[in-house]
Amino acid sequence: MLSMLEEVVLLAVDEKNGGLRSTREFGTAYALVGAVFFDLALARKIDTDTETIQIIDMTPTGNATLDRVLTHMASRADLTTVRGWLEEIFQQRDDLEGEALQSLIDQDILRHEKSKLLWIIDVERFPLVDNKPQQYVKVRMANTILADDIPQTRDIMLVSIAEPCGLLGYILSDTVLASRRRRIQLLCNMETISRKVTDAILGLETSMRQAMTKVV
Amino acid sequence: MIQLMEETRGGWCIVGVRGRLDAESADELESALRTAIGKNAKVAANFAGVDYISSAGLRAVIQAARAAEGKEVEFTICSLTPHVKKVFDMSGLHQILHLRGELPC
Repeated sequence: MLSMLEEVVLLAVDEKNGGLRSTREFGTAYALVGAVFFDLALARKIDTDTETIQIIDMTPTGNATLDRVLTHMASRADLTTVRGWLEEIFQQRDDLEGEALQSLIDQDILRHEKSKLLWIIDVERFPLVDNKPQQYVKVRMANTILADDIPQTRDIMLVSIAEPCGLLGYILSDTVLASRRRRIQLLCNMETISRKVTDAILGLETSMRQAMTKVV
Repeated sequence: MIQLMEETRGGWCIVGVRGRLDAESADELESALRTAIGKNAKVAANFAGVDYISSAGLRAVIQAARAAEGKEVEFTICSLTPHVKKVFDMSGLHQILHLRGELPC
């Protein structure tokens, strides 16, 4: 089974050309951090309440990325809020994405291609070698949004971090998403980590708008 | 640490829960609720003695409710304390779970 982090990264790969949507959807970086926290929660290493995050088990998970984040969290007893930890691990966003991409390459789901744009700019692409895992993630998410039943924990988590960074638009049409807005809002509200990811992305968008206004 | 008590009253299996619902106790709660759901047509979780619920605790409740939905068992959460009710409200769970102010019987 793929980790939540791998599923989010896989979702951010353009199935047509292997481009990374995270280069356009800036909020994806926060979704990656949220995914790591969800992976740690599913592994029963951390727990959250409405504001704070607690480490409950320091034994390694066997996943290098998760264990590095867990060790980092244990070293900072002063940092206790979910939002604070999102911002802290946000600094490691490139590592998170890179490690998840490498893991997906190692599992023969993606391959790595490097090329030059106009002979100067390096362009990296990650075309799908096996499209089934991405399809599986998309189908699960679509079913979770379109149904009215009580969803699986993992699917709640996945939808709730994919939504605020714009990744749902690559799964369902705008019309369908608009018609299911209430359901999506419900799923996005259920988990503290998702609520804080949404807050962080809104904060990032506000900062970017303010910066753009100053430039103009 | 939680304490669980099960009794049958007026056609309902009532699972009494007391203590903190967190990562440590979530599995125990989910297992108790799933067992009750597997054996009864109507199950009520009495949360009057629950003073704290974390995300892991909420997930346990959601998954138990999912199991009840799959088996067409009537499942309700009753007598939430103000703090715990606030957490349910904040999570929007009142929209998909059946919450009651008091026990059904």
